[in-house]
Amino acid sequence: MSLLSRLFANRRRELEEEIQSHLQMAIQDRTDRGESPEQAEAAAIRELGNFVRVNDITRETRGWVRRERIAQDLKYALRQLRTSPGFAITVIGTLALGLGATGAMFTVVDRVLLRSLPYENAQQIVEIKEAGRKGVRDAAPFLDLQQWRERSHTLSDVAFYSANKHVSFLEGNTGATQVVAPRVSANLFALLGTHPAIGRGFEVQPQSESVRPQDAQTMILSDTVWRTVYGSDANILGKAIKLNGESYTVVGVMPRGFTFPFGGANPVVWTPIVLTEADATRIEEVIPTYAAIARLKSDVTLQSAEAELKGIQTEVSKGYTDPYDREEVSSIQVQRYGDSLVGGDVSKALLALFGAAVMLWLIACVNVTSLLLARSTARQREIAVRGALGASRGQIVLQFLIEGLVLSGIASVLGLGLAVLTVRLFEHALATQFNIHATLTPSASVILILLGLTLVSALMASIWPAIGAARASIEPALRRGSAQGGTGRAQHRTRALLVVSEIAMSLTLLVGCGLLLRTIYVLRHVPLGFRTDHVIVANMTIPSFKFAGRDIRTELYQPLLERVQHLPGVQSASLMTEVPLGKTFQMVFTFAVEGNTAADIRQRDLSAQFRAVGPEMQRVFGFRMAEGRFFNEQDTAGSQPVVVVNRAFVKGFLGGDQDPKKILGANLIGYGKHRRAVVVGVLDDERQVSIAEQSQPEIEVCIPQITPDTSFYKSAEGLAMDLAVRTERSPSSVVPELRRLMQDASPELATSNFTTMDQVVEDSYGSQQLAARILEMFGGCALLLCVAGIYGLLAYLVTQRTRELGLRIALGAQRSDVMWLVLRQATWMLLVGSGIGLVLAYLSSVLLKTFLYGVKPNDPWTMGVVTLLLMGGGIAAAYLPARRAAGVDPMQALRTE
Amino acid sequence: MSTSMARRNQYRDRVELLQGTLDMLILQTLQWGPQHGYGIMQALRVNSGEVLQVETGSLYPALHRLERQRWVRSEWKHTESKQRAKYYQITAVGKKQLASDLSRWQRIVEAIGAVIGRDPREGEA
Repeated sequence: MSLLSRLFANRRRELEEEIQSHLQMAIQDRTDRGESPEQAEAAAIRELGNFVRVNDITRETRGWVRRERIAQDLKYALRQLRTSPGFAITVIGTLALGLGATGAMFTVVDRVLLRSLPYENAQQIVEIKEAGRKGVRDAAPFLDLQQWRERSHTLSDVAFYSANKHVSFLEGNTGATQVVAPRVSANLFALLGTHPAIGRGFEVQPQSESVRPQDAQTMILSDTVWRTVYGSDANILGKAIKLNGESYTVVGVMPRGFTFPFGGANPVVWTPIVLTEADATRIEEVIPTYAAIARLKSDVTLQSAEAELKGIQTEVSKGYTDPYDREEVSSIQVQRYGDSLVGGDVSKALLALFGAAVMLWLIACVNVTSLLLARSTARQREIAVRGALGASRGQIVLQFLIEGLVLSGIASVLGLGLAVLTVRLFEHALATQFNIHATLTPSASVILILLGLTLVSALMASIWPAIGAARASIEPALRRGSAQGGTGRAQHRTRALLVVSEIAMSLTLLVGCGLLLRTIYVLRHVPLGFRTDHVIVANMTIPSFKFAGRDIRTELYQPLLERVQHLPGVQSASLMTEVPLGKTFQMVFTFAVEGNTAADIRQRDLSAQFRAVGPEMQRVFGFRMAEGRFFNEQDTAGSQPVVVVNRAFVKGFLGGDQDPKKILGANLIGYGKHRRAVVVGVLDDERQVSIAEQSQPEIEVCIPQITPDTSFYKSAEGLAMDLAVRTERSPSSVVPELRRLMQDASPELATSNFTTMDQVVEDSYGSQQLAARILEMFGGCALLLCVAGIYGLLAYLVTQRTRELGLRIALGAQRSDVMWLVLRQATWMLLVGSGIGLVLAYLSSVLLKTFLYGVKPNDPWTMGVVTLLLMGGGIAAAYLPARRAAGVDPMQALRTE
Repeated sequence: MSTSMARRNQYRDRVELLQGTLDMLILQTLQWGPQHGYGIMQALRVNSGEVLQVETGSLYPALHRLERQRWVRSEWKHTESKQRAKYYQITAVGKKQLASDLSRWQRIVEAIGAVIGRDPREGEA
């Protein structure tokens, strides 16, 4: 502002100086010719003509005047705001709410749905998965991949990788660092359109497409690892590095910003996939499988690629000798890599929330329009005076627009702040729900969108009043004495319509909010089947490489557990591969059953959650047994191996109509050559996968019995382990002690994640909880704005009609009649608004369907209660103006002029 | 206010009437070298044999207009008598414009001459 005016001042000064110098030269000429200085000056000035005139015209030709006028309007707008701070604060606050909500949601949408992948032409990169009887499979054997690559004409290349989601340990200069170490095929980097910034990639063997055997123990670092672990060491190539205890030679460093697989919090290193003899077969359980990605040829659509691959797959599946295996890989699913990162539910949910934010913004805009309309009425005389003094309609409209811009400009700055705050507030929930690991700050595109919205809000809110004001004829407004003159029915109707639309939109938001609150209520009352209070959970990062060839059970877990159990205040502690409702690790158990009877097929289709747990588990979580017993201290490495299953498992294994008792004593898993485990107990059902999902089949084995010679020792003990501790002490005092104990046991454990079981449950309410919280906020704001809108309009109307009301009272109208007059107006607005709102809510609640649990999208109770709430709020808002109307003193009102 | 605005419009009309010719005369004057506003005015007066008296109210708007069209550019310098003044200088675009202005002017003079039945060269003689 001051910069702008200084710029104008500069230009004006320069022109003045030019004319001054003209004048001086003229005077000089005349004195040179012998005139007296006074004479010369007078003549020169006369000759120059009207100095100001010259100045004005010259400036006008340069278009400065227009710009100066805008600056003046700007100054005027700011002055206007200063003189009525209440109005300014209301408008700015309202718009800031709308812009803040939209900004916050767009920040999330931008990060989750619109993020650009760091790959060349990322939209051509697709993920190929086999699908069949049991659904979609994440990984496929090499032979199948090879067929796709050889036969397809729609794909330019197929690469594969084995996504190792577990933490690996990289031994660097400063101890072990946690990394993710996926193994990749040699052509993967080339397929993504990138190559190492330093050094080379993995080299391919010409015939087999496999990595050369001499490259088997090589490694490529990500830029992050190179910088943080090796201090950007320029001589890194050729160095030997230990990953999980195995030695690798560094051959390359990827460029900055590159990562694959996309997402994930840990830094990445890559090692090559070297094909072995096992890759030459398709025998289940034996062969390694890989996730496949491919690049579409340009101009090839996803659909045509999928259709072609489905055709190829019918041939490929014939390669499976087992007919049962064949049915599992009969089809193909092709999905863009970018889309595979975000579930369809998540994106739908996000868009619904974004829609809610936009709705709140619209409500804010409508509210502000209504406010500005009222204000333009109050300023009618001022505008008429301006018109009479020669301001053109364009100038008046421009001035309104500038005022609108100033208001929404300030609001957008505040809104940006609000957006940042909101995102901070939901940071934890957003990170767990949408897998965002970087800090969420509004990006350039968010700020751009916000800027656009600001402009649109300014236009939307001020164009209507501006046109109205410019169109109004000057004379009547000037002739009328007071501000009470009334403003024509058209404007009242406009404002009433605005309020009605506000009511309708608010109701829509509130219904969504109500449905989600009911969902949360239902979820919170789902019996989980176990206790969650006072349990601390440590998600351990296990350095299993350090225990290669040793028994991790007796050397790490057992001593650690004993020391934890002896901590003061600890009632019980137990190990388990994954706590119920945990989302970090999952193992699935399936049966290899031959035969074709109904029972055989049922058992083959059964896939059960597999958990290795300690015998103390029951004391920590307090779940119930339906039949038999849980593990106890007598179940040791030397005793008969035992397993525990749950009711859902029994149903899947024996059929739904069977007595769970029948499974006791059954022989389900082989631990080794001569050790087969028997079932000793059946757990009561519990929500162990997700709160919204019924109990899934589950089978549990006892940790002390999993000796290193057990066939599944490595996957059950070496990949993931949670430590659950029941204690009355507060987590903040126990966690440091636990961390110290773990660090003493093995330094790598110090980085384990700690949380409470209550938090795990909270996290698994997940999207519902997040959506409910966000909608609560939006709905609350909408209700507030709506009530303010109703109040504003009625209060204004009452002021406008003071004389009329006074007259009515003077002529004998009852106070209650007058009150009813005002309330009637409120009631019809509320009724019409709610009616439209209910229709809108009914239509839009379908969008929320994926969020809802235990409540239908068109739940009449929710709709009814929410409508009543809005009605109540609206009538309350109308009551104050109505009472003021009834309290009008007739004498005073008639005298007001 | 409204009457004064009307007057201002009249004033502007007159400027526009002169515009083409005045622009050409200024550019023609600047062909001999950079000159300040006062100098241009003097040159026009002297070269026209004291006939053409340009008003400052037309001259400066014209100069600024020419500058905005990039036909002239300006620079603050000192005159011989140490007076600071803004000097205008014709640009390459300006020279082209001048050439086209001059030829158009020539055609108009010839056409008018033909209409009133006298050879313009005769009148000049």
